[in-house]
Amino acid sequence: MNTIVEANRLEKHYGGFKALSGVSMSIPQGEITGLIGPNGAGKTTTLKAMIGLCDVEGELSVAGRDPRIARHQLMHDVCFIADVGILPKWLRVNQLLDYVDAVHPRFDRNRATKFLGSTEIPPRKRIRELSKGMVTQLHLAIVMAIDVKLLILDEPTLGLDIVYRKEFYDRLLNDYYVGNRTIVISTHQVEEIEALLTHLLFINRGKIVLDAHMSELETLFTEVIVKPDQLTQADGLGPIHKRELLGKKAYIYEAVPRAQLEHLGEVGTPSVADLFVAKMKEGSSVNPLSDSMKSSNDE
Amino acid sequence: MNRLASIPFVALLWREVLENRTLFIWAPVMLALVLFVFAAWLISMAPNDQVSISIQYLSEIFDGLSPLEIAPILMILAVPFMVILYVCALIYLLGALYQDRKDLSVLFWQSMPISNATTVLSKVVTVAAVAPFFSVTVLLVFYTLALLCLTLLGVAYEVQVAGLGYLFLAALTSLILVYLSAFTATLWLMPTVGWLLLFSAFARRAPFLWAAGVFILIGFLEDFLFGSQYLANWVESRANPNQYLIYNLSDVTERMFSYDMLFGVLVGSILLLGAIFMRRFID
Repeated sequence: MNTIVEANRLEKHYGGFKALSGVSMSIPQGEITGLIGPNGAGKTTTLKAMIGLCDVEGELSVAGRDPRIARHQLMHDVCFIADVGILPKWLRVNQLLDYVDAVHPRFDRNRATKFLGSTEIPPRKRIRELSKGMVTQLHLAIVMAIDVKLLILDEPTLGLDIVYRKEFYDRLLNDYYVGNRTIVISTHQVEEIEALLTHLLFINRGKIVLDAHMSELETLFTEVIVKPDQLTQADGLGPIHKRELLGKKAYIYEAVPRAQLEHLGEVGTPSVADLFVAKMKEGSSVNPLSDSMKSSNDE
Repeated sequence: MNRLASIPFVALLWREVLENRTLFIWAPVMLALVLFVFAAWLISMAPNDQVSISIQYLSEIFDGLSPLEIAPILMILAVPFMVILYVCALIYLLGALYQDRKDLSVLFWQSMPISNATTVLSKVVTVAAVAPFFSVTVLLVFYTLALLCLTLLGVAYEVQVAGLGYLFLAALTSLILVYLSAFTATLWLMPTVGWLLLFSAFARRAPFLWAAGVFILIGFLEDFLFGSQYLANWVESRANPNQYLIYNLSDVTERMFSYDMLFGVLVGSILLLGAIFMRRFID
């Protein structure tokens, strides 16, 4: 599989705070990758590093270039939407289109105008007069009209209501995600984009804690709704996460063969959201992976 | 969109104008309005015969005079506009690489394929060539209207007004000199331009305090540690407007290619490189 982003041991300090402590990852081309982590996990720092807006230590290559050296050349191939509301407020909508049209050789103005035509954004309005949702729609319309290899979205729907959020992702999937394009989305609201993603990256405390294709989840992780009489045995197999589910107990296991788990109860693949919670809590305790391997060896 | 506006660098300059139209367009327009109203009030207060005599006098002294000879003297009329332009340029430069970081739109600007060097260059060209263009355009409209009013008044009082035409030609010529002066002034003041942009790119808040504070601090440290005042003396040696004002088209080459000018441009360019470097990583 071709990769479009290769990062190796990225480090970033802000004073005494370690924002990134050895981020290594590879983002495959043509996939929709979710960079998921809690607030302050290092998502924005990682994404900013990918577009050359943040100086990091380590090896980093995006679309074949080092973003720290040539941001403006990289921007021919990469588009970026940060948290909502960062378009220049004093410009009018059509002035913004004029600007992008002039400076970006891959911008197709007709396409952008067509997208905007299906929204309620008036072309003569100043951006400061638009609602938060409209600003995001406008930014998406611009980005969708730029023919790039990689689109990076940093919490793109933060602060939007559900109607705009849903529309945003629908458009992204139906109008943008074609051919060999790659999308990276960062968020801490997993449920919303779960169905969209084909590749997962979990980040916590400046480290990648999971890097897996969605199709791999089934083999890597198992969720068991444990029968009441099997609880002791279920505990012994070293679940990485336990939760209550309508009076029953749901356990998540990592790297434990399903054959070993089937007799414990109802077996399935955990949702990304549950997996996320499991992986985020994991860092604070002892490494459950080695625990589960040990206990499975014991059997 | 027309051809000119689709050139990337022109689009960058246009962006600066749109963002700073208050500074570059409305400030000189307001000044012109105030002066115009003030002049109209003066004329309305004066007795009629005094007005007609004054117009006739103006017409007579300028009649037949070469615009090129009068133009340098008429530059003095533009002084209030140049003062406003300097103040606005100062405000503009301090905000040029700071404002977008403050309102976070820098993330959008940086996501476009425009290098930091080009961005910083567009700010310098805006101060050197674009802002003076608007000042001079406002002056042009102001002069035209003022002379038109004087001519109409003169005709109404039945005095000779042919000489006002020469005054108008001289005023137009003076605008060319004003524009060229503003341009060479920016080149001459390049160390200041570079210094302001450097702190505009560097400061997390209050770029003016940084720019002024660090300068004063360096001057003070030099005096304290070495007992010398090279910095203060150097700045003072460059403070005379006659070093960059253009009174005659033949002054241009002399002003542009003096050693002092080139040295200033060199110092300014080094500071601009610093601003470009600061701009690289926004965090």
